[in-house]
Amino acid sequence: MNVLSCSINTLKGLYDISGVEVGQHFYWQIGGFQVHGQVLITSWVVIAILLGSATIAVRNPQTIPTGGQNFFEYVLEFIRDVSKTQIGEEYGPWVPFIGTMFLFIFVSNWSGALLPWKIIQLPHGELAAPTNDINTTVALALLTSVAYFYAGLTKRGLGYFGKYIQPTPILLPINILEDFTKPLSLSFRLFGNILADELVVVVLVSLVPLVVPIPVMLLGLFTSGIQALIFATLAAAYIGESMEGHH
Amino acid sequence: MANMIMSSSKALITSSSSTIPSSPRFKLSLTQIPFPKLPLPRSPKSLETLSIPSTLKSISVILASSLAIAPPSLAEEIEKASLFDFNLTLPTMMAEFLFLMFALDKIYFSPLGKFMDERDSAIKEKLSSVKDTSTEVKQLEDQAAAIMKAARAEISAALNKMKKETQQEVEQKIAEGRKKVEAELLEALASLENQKEETMKSLDSQIAALSDEIVKKVLPASN
Repeated sequence: MNVLSCSINTLKGLYDISGVEVGQHFYWQIGGFQVHGQVLITSWVVIAILLGSATIAVRNPQTIPTGGQNFFEYVLEFIRDVSKTQIGEEYGPWVPFIGTMFLFIFVSNWSGALLPWKIIQLPHGELAAPTNDINTTVALALLTSVAYFYAGLTKRGLGYFGKYIQPTPILLPINILEDFTKPLSLSFRLFGNILADELVVVVLVSLVPLVVPIPVMLLGLFTSGIQALIFATLAAAYIGESMEGHH
Repeated sequence: MANMIMSSSKALITSSSSTIPSSPRFKLSLTQIPFPKLPLPRSPKSLETLSIPSTLKSISVILASSLAIAPPSLAEEIEKASLFDFNLTLPTMMAEFLFLMFALDKIYFSPLGKFMDERDSAIKEKLSSVKDTSTEVKQLEDQAAAIMKAARAEISAALNKMKKETQQEVEQKIAEGRKKVEAELLEALASLENQKEETMKSLDSQIAALSDEIVKKVLPASN
């Protein structure tokens, strides 16, 4: 009994030091429904950052771009390039969707790594990247599904459903299954990467507070960017795939 | 596996501690990862007291101890804590994303995209117009060359004319001089001839007188 309580005390100490909180949420009640307050707060900050910087940079476009405008033009070129390579020549109407997907995920991921959210204490849970929550990633993935269904139906009408029995009707179950695996893989890939990245950083910081976590943090920044690019590219690829017909 | 862990931890909780609620509705499932699992050094005595496999035992001890140290309120929180907790946050995030999409389209994608496209077309237009002026420049250059050629021809013609005129003048003057010299020469020759004739005439008369005298001197006796 003595030994057990002793080990419990050490555990408690470790638990307090590490301060790892996973799956803790700051609940708000809205009309009988619960929402995760920390996710909403951070997503508002991310949206404010995006809208604010875009407004400032694009407010008065110059023929010869400088500073912020140059950067935002570069970003727009990049997004257009991604959409064009994945969707094809009719990429124009999808640039806002792909671009917002990329920018929102990218800024969310980097905000989790760069902004000192931990300074603000919440009653429970803690502020982190919005993409750290499964609700966000599933929301984005479901929107992607809706988007590619919409793209296919508007482009090819009911003939869109012909893709389910191509190349042979035998593949019908697999083709239907794909519609479920696509959002599942999209959302879980993003969620898992960001959560794992933040967990690794937090655990390493709790174990060795100096220097050692820095390479992992840099790796986390890199992974965050890659994840945003992967999500946007895959969304564009799904949209392009449903728009191109098998003639 | 999960059941085993659950049962073992429950047994431990009920036996070892009295601070936790009597019937914890604690379910260990995939959706609950309440705390980090850290390996701990254990004393041999605790190993002896518990008769379950060591890995299971250490996990269960950690679970139990974490539950045990938690005050009732924290225990409830941990019970609620879950990674895969879907609620109204999901549709809210969808709405937020759609709002962000429309807002960004209004203030970023559409205006800047339009601006960039317009600039691209303007640059292309300017480039093509520059190509047009290159032919213009060629025309102008040709014109300039033609003008230069004409001017050169004019100048050379004027030069030739002047040369001819001066040459004619010079030749005229030379001819005049020659004529003058010839006339003078003729005059001089004529005067010379005259003088010669005169001297010859005078000599003739003198010769006659001299021959008379010579005859007189040579032939005095015959007289």
